[in-house]
Amino acid sequence: MSKPRIALFQCRWCLYSIPDQEWVDNELPENIKMVKVPCTGRVNSLYLLNAIQGGANGIMVSGCLPEKCHFKEGNLGARRQLDEYTDFMDYIGFDKRRLRMFWIDLQDRGHIQRELAEFEANLSQLEAEPAAAFATRVGGEA
Amino acid sequence: MSQALDQVKTEACRLLSEGLVDVFVGYKAADIPMHPQPAFISKADEADALVYDGFCANNLATYLPQLTRSTKIGMVVRGCEARAVNILALENQHSRENLFLVGVPCTGVLDWRKLTARFGENVSAAVDEGDTLQVTVDGKTQQLPRAEALHASCQRCQHPNPTWADLMIGEPLPEGDPERVWAQADEQIGKTKAERYAWFAHEAERCIRCYACREACPMCYCAECFVDHITPRWTESTTSPAGQHAWHITRAFHQTGRCVDCGACERACPMDIKMTYLTDKLNQDMQVKYGFVAGMDIETQAPFATFSLDDKDRFVE
Repeated sequence: MSKPRIALFQCRWCLYSIPDQEWVDNELPENIKMVKVPCTGRVNSLYLLNAIQGGANGIMVSGCLPEKCHFKEGNLGARRQLDEYTDFMDYIGFDKRRLRMFWIDLQDRGHIQRELAEFEANLSQLEAEPAAAFATRVGGEA
Repeated sequence: MSQALDQVKTEACRLLSEGLVDVFVGYKAADIPMHPQPAFISKADEADALVYDGFCANNLATYLPQLTRSTKIGMVVRGCEARAVNILALENQHSRENLFLVGVPCTGVLDWRKLTARFGENVSAAVDEGDTLQVTVDGKTQQLPRAEALHASCQRCQHPNPTWADLMIGEPLPEGDPERVWAQADEQIGKTKAERYAWFAHEAERCIRCYACREACPMCYCAECFVDHITPRWTESTTSPAGQHAWHITRAFHQTGRCVDCGACERACPMDIKMTYLTDKLNQDMQVKYGFVAGMDIETQAPFATFSLDDKDRFVE
């Protein structure tokens, strides 16, 4: 079975260590598509919907810790919206475990690899369950 | 109902002749029965043309953002309309000082579809008086209890009285039953995930993308809607399933913490698509998570317009 496809929305301010930066730039596995965003606050619900309709099996939004946003408050607004969006998508039949948001501390090296591996393992388990197939765009997959 | 109408006419006439408002927004009779249409009256002697009954299905607050901010507007408002006006004033779509609201406690909007379903297409007149409707079909008058013809949103209504008005007509009505407010959302939540998706897809697949729901909604006032963007094209603009889903999901999500549950979107839909169950869930979440009910006052910002460090951290274990 092929690996689950993951869309990663990554805040550009919280990958502080050079090994982490190099990893996401050069060694990111093929099943993960990364979109660098200026802040998690920039992530619009339409981005997530486009990723779902583009064929992503899981979506991950990664940003700075609540008190450590580069723009002071972008991630706090994002947290409210993404939290509600996951609940809303679950309400219409899209499994909320497929949408995940997590915070990265500047000092926490290798955190992103661990989170992605864990998310991928969770998604692989979900694949076994019969899930409602959300309509995908005519244009094809991500 | 006719008493309220007389008072609305008198007030409209007074406001216009004294120059307190430039335009009075109410309803007037249309050519077909059961479909009064919005009326914009700027002369006092035109006030006699106004009508007001349960068939007035539009949400008049929809027209606020379309009129310039300096226009002095008089308007008939019911509970949901007054709350919509609050939100629009809070979002700077019109200035509070230039509004004169004539509040009418609302006994609920009647659904003409329920009448045609029962009496057929030949309803030539329907009179909304008291608790009974006098419906004329093929020259014969029949009766129907008013409660049976109420629109689904109005059956669930919790706030029939305007939250504020410069002038109130009639006595305030009792508040709605809080247990019925979330009946529709709770019914969906009780289903399995596959059933919820099946219901959503079943409703959305009839959508012809006419955007009547958008035009009827007081909260949809964006100069350019996300579905009209060409670069970038956010969603498919055709009636493909992906396009229909994207429209229904995002239209509802943009109403989070703003929807007043007036049901105007559902009444406007030519395909009879159910869509208030989507905004009901969002309203319920806003109330449960943040204790927020849209439009109850003119100061409280919607949850998405603000933020807090104390928000429950649901995403990080």
